[in-house]
This record gives sequence, structure tokens and C-alpha cells, in this order.
Amino acid sequence: MAESPAQTTFAEEALGHLDTLYRGALRLTRDPDQAQDLVQEAYLRALRYQHSYQPGTNMKAWLFAIMRNLFWDRFKGSRKEDVSLDDAGDFLLYEKLRDEGARPEADVLDKLAASEVVSAVEKLPPLHREVVLLVDVEGFSYKDAAETLGVPIGTVMSRLHRARQQLQKSLYDYALESGIVRGSNSQVANQ
Amino acid sequence: MNCPDCKDKLDRFVDRELTTTEMLEIQLHLEGCPECMDNYEFQTQLKRLVKHSCDCDTAPPEFREKLRQLLS
Repeated sequence: MAESPAQTTFAEEALGHLDTLYRGALRLTRDPDQAQDLVQEAYLRALRYQHSYQPGTNMKAWLFAIMRNLFWDRFKGSRKEDVSLDDAGDFLLYEKLRDEGARPEADVLDKLAASEVVSAVEKLPPLHREVVLLVDVEGFSYKDAAETLGVPIGTVMSRLHRARQQLQKSLYDYALESGIVRGSNSQVANQ
Repeated sequence: MNCPDCKDKLDRFVDRELTTTEMLEIQLHLEGCPECMDNYEFQTQLKRLVKHSCDCDTAPPEFREKLRQLLS
């Protein structure tokens, strides 16, 4: 069946956000095949419900919302502790490293491999991971992230804060394991 | 503005989510407080690192083409 001009325009605009959706799906599912399934389902659903999209509004946020809702439909039944983080108190990598005599940026951040950072992001529980993906990776404002996730802005802020704490803790653990830093009250490992 | 206030608002400063007045207050504090400035620069670089590490994945061309056909 030939597509209408409106449908073509909608599809073209929607596909302009494919990389964002694919990255998001990849980080949420942690599996390329599942990510493609999820994104494909999201696009088909978007096409079906395109009448509910208001032209001129944030299509990227609208598509991401469809995709993450599908993801959460699949995730239903998971235990709360698998999807959220308890408040474990503040952990500031910067302060920890500085207290241990390291130069936090030059000695540690510059030495972290991208794959380790991705791994730390993927270890975050999904509720927190998706906020990092929207705000830190895709550059969403808190307001757009809140609308995409269907939560108040305050929830975005608290999830983001906890996520960043956990992320820093994971990266610190990796820096310790890999010898980039040497643990409490010691200097950065010699190069 | 003192260090605890600055620390409390640092996430929103890094994310450019404060009002213009609040942004200026933090900026002024940072200029006079090397410790908070170092922390700010660290948090900014960490955010940049997360972005650059995670945004290099792109959808495979054959998948893009498959979707293009599905949507048409």
C-alpha cells in the first residue's frame, strides 16, 4: 500500500531520532538484538498512534516515552530492588580521590576506558539508568525528562543524583580493581 | 552562597537547570573557592565522559533500512 505524504513526513522525522532510540534501547536491554526488537516495536506503535503526536512538539521525547514504556511492560514483575536504588548516602568520587592523594581528573577520569563507563551505566538499575540516558547522554532538560518518564521534576533530580552517586562508586571500584588508584590513604598507582 | 549551598546546587548548575540569578551566584562562589571549582570541573568532566562513552553507538544501517521499509 502506498504511503500518504503525511505518513512519509512522519516516518522521516521519526527516523531522524533512530540513533537516540537505539542507544537508549541498547543501554536499557544491554542486548543488541533485544534493542532492535524494542525499537522496531516502538516505531510500529508510534506509527499506529501518530494521530496522538502534536506536530511541533518534542518528537524525540515522545518516541523515547513509547520505547521506555514498552521496555517497562516487559520488565513488569521485577523486584523493586532490581530496578531502583536505595539511598546509600553520598559518595563523591572527587572527594574520595582527593583525600587519597590523587588528582581526580588527570589521574583517574582520563584513564577510564569508555567501555568501563558504559558498563557502569549499564549496572545502574533501569529506573536510574534511563534518567542518566536522557539527561547526560541525550541532553534532555529536567522538564523534558520528567514528561518523558511521567514523573515530577523532583523525582528526575533525585534519581539523577542517586544514579550519579552510584556511577561514581562503580567507577571508583573499577579504578581500584584495575590499579588506577590504590585505595584508602595511598597515592595513585605509579605509572 | 557557601560551600554546602554550592554542593547542594551543583547537579543543577552542571545541568544548566538553575535560574540566571542562581547560576551567577554559583559562578561567583566558584571563582572564589578553588575547592568547589575543582569539584565542579570534575563533575562536568564526568558528565562529558558519560555522554561521550555512551553516545557513540548508532543504529546499524541495515536496521535503519528495515525500519524505513516497515514505516512506509
